[in-house]
Amino acid sequence: MKNWIFLGIIIICALLQATALNSVSIFGVKPDLLFIGVFYASIFFGVAWAVSLSIFAGFLKDMLCVNTFGVNTLLFPLFCLILIKLSREISLDNNFIRMLSLFILVLINDIIARVIFLFWGNFISWGIFLRTTFLEALYTAVVLPLVFKAIRRAL
Amino acid sequence: MIKREIGGIIFYHRNLIQNERLEKEAGFLRQRLNTAKEIYLENKRLKGLLYFKQKSAYKMTAVRVIGRSADNWSSVVVIDKGGFNGIKRGFVAITPSGLSGRVIEAADYTSRVRLINDPNFAVSAIVQRSRQEGLVCGTLGRSLIMKYLPKDCDIRAGDVVVTSGLTEAYPKGLLIGSVVNIGEEFSGLSRYAMIKPAVGLSDIEELLIIIQ
Repeated sequence: MKNWIFLGIIIICALLQATALNSVSIFGVKPDLLFIGVFYASIFFGVAWAVSLSIFAGFLKDMLCVNTFGVNTLLFPLFCLILIKLSREISLDNNFIRMLSLFILVLINDIIARVIFLFWGNFISWGIFLRTTFLEALYTAVVLPLVFKAIRRAL
Repeated sequence: MIKREIGGIIFYHRNLIQNERLEKEAGFLRQRLNTAKEIYLENKRLKGLLYFKQKSAYKMTAVRVIGRSADNWSSVVVIDKGGFNGIKRGFVAITPSGLSGRVIEAADYTSRVRLINDPNFAVSAIVQRSRQEGLVCGTLGRSLIMKYLPKDCDIRAGDVVVTSGLTEAYPKGLLIGSVVNIGEEFSGLSRYAMIKPAVGLSDIEELLIIIQ
């Protein structure tokens, strides 16, 4: 039951990402709620469900983005597996460690995504890239405890 | 005063029920007031759009913004009309304030519009006063950048920038924004100008798509 509720939460996160979240953007950058969802699933769900939910979250994000089809569907489960492995090596119980891990993962995700887009001929200048990547990683990490709290309350 | 207090104690239960009923009614009325305010604001915006549409030389269709891109790498909005309403890829999106973007995908009932602050957006533009040409691109932020300006170009802060008509898809003379500051490229070969868009891109709710 908890898994299905979380599936609903992922859908709500995707809808928020494409609508209301724009009003809280800082310098045009908004936090990645779907990535936080993947992070939550990787820590608190079994491997099979966590990967399935990550694929679903990636698919939803790709659907709502432009020129990115397949990138998030591919990267989200990959990061999910990395997180599962990481959570077995180090303890991710502390909020600060979670925020730090998420910050680094969002940075890596953005760098990989940009390299893929570059091969597709979708070029973004270095200044914009650095500003957006850093702000997105920071903003997503900062809102992590709030989103975790909301998800826990919903579950 | 005492009579009122005693009355309050005697009729405590009746007053309590009445208070609850009035609180509910106040909440309901507050909600209706809010809805009415939203409708009033929407009406005001749509009246402006209609007036602009009637006065304009272009054939346009009004659309509503129903979503935005989920990532931070593009500035794209989803609109509520598509191919069935005659919208095609490449059509230009404007508001009464100026150029807003271009349709990049048109499905049957919805379309995606790339806004002018998207980094993949580029339009040939001129400075209205000096007729200096340049290429206006998006920066994902609140301003645009006008590139490839010669070192000796005649451009000042406050100058108005409009479309040049050289990019065939965009009609000539559409307002883009005004120059806020001018800088020199890292190479030192050319200059650039930062432009404040005439359209408030972060809070667009309705757009006009130029059909013809």
